[in-house]
Amino acid sequence: MAATLCSKLLPKQGWLPLTQSVRHGSKAVTRHRKPLHIQKQKLLAVTQYIPPAREFPPGAYPSQTKHVQEDNDLTLLMKRELKKLFEDCKMIAVVQNSSSSAEDMMTLRHRLYKHNITVKFFPNKVVRSFLSDSIYCNMGPLFVGPTVMFVSKEPKVKEMLTTLRGSPQMTLLGACVDNTLLSAQGIVSYSKLPSMTVIQGEVVSGLSMLTSHTAYLLQRHPAHLSQLLQQYIKQQSSDGSAEAAPKAEEAT
Amino acid sequence: MAAPSKATVVLKAVKKITVQFCPFESNVRSTREFLALVGSEKARTTNMNCEVIPVVKHDKSEPVVDITYVDGEKLLMKGANLTSSEMLSAFQSRCVAKDPQAKVGEKK
Repeated sequence: MAATLCSKLLPKQGWLPLTQSVRHGSKAVTRHRKPLHIQKQKLLAVTQYIPPAREFPPGAYPSQTKHVQEDNDLTLLMKRELKKLFEDCKMIAVVQNSSSSAEDMMTLRHRLYKHNITVKFFPNKVVRSFLSDSIYCNMGPLFVGPTVMFVSKEPKVKEMLTTLRGSPQMTLLGACVDNTLLSAQGIVSYSKLPSMTVIQGEVVSGLSMLTSHTAYLLQRHPAHLSQLLQQYIKQQSSDGSAEAAPKAEEAT
Repeated sequence: MAAPSKATVVLKAVKKITVQFCPFESNVRSTREFLALVGSEKARTTNMNCEVIPVVKHDKSEPVVDITYVDGEKLLMKGANLTSSEMLSAFQSRCVAKDPQAKVGEKK
């Protein structure tokens, strides 16, 4: 700008203008907000964005079309693993750990591994979406916050409870044992159940008790009669032997 | 869920915290998050005498957090309609009120 001014106002060499205005012209990139040129200001004012008027705020009503997100490959892999896990393992327990240091986790895992219980971590979203499709949908609300899954092929509830008692920060929320959903108290009562053989023996004895009672009632009368007859025979034989003995003494 | 302003929870003035909830209900999320924050390793190292006791029930009861302070005062928070950050801020404001000297000492 100074150069163009100079070229117009200085036709002859060495002629300085009468007034020299010192322009305070800022550069393009300034630290302060440069005031916009009036033309640019007008343009921006005219082309300002006016959003469409909404009748209701955006979060007030639920959206009509549910945006279904496609599962990416990692999610599919984890879902397949979860499916295999649910098929293989008879016992799946859900535990919340408010905190554990790495060492606590290691000791816990070691203790559980002795009883063939593995500790699994899965992201809650994946687990929830998997469970809502499968038959275990009622386990969904358990998977909130920092959760860990203990899975095992055999339902070893008692050992798991004793191990968890050792670590205070683990909270047992629920378990799915033999496709049955159990709460915390349910797990405790399950652990107190006796083994299968004992229960079978109890059932068999309870059923056979009735039949044995019936048989006893039927046989009561003849048994009583036979007892009385035996008693009579004994008395007779003792009288007979008592008579025979004095007779033998008389004879001799 | 946005994390609360202070990452560490100071439990110096607290004797016992009982967190009671039913995991199959849908309104326990904030209570569980509160438990996760309060029961964390960092929080527990601030006061080894403080006990954090989670109780898991199955009777459709409301989630309740019962805090007993060292001077005998009790704070009962019903977490059904509260967010975890609200619960934490209420709890921490009372802790700070109880134990301002320790807090001021830390800040200095």
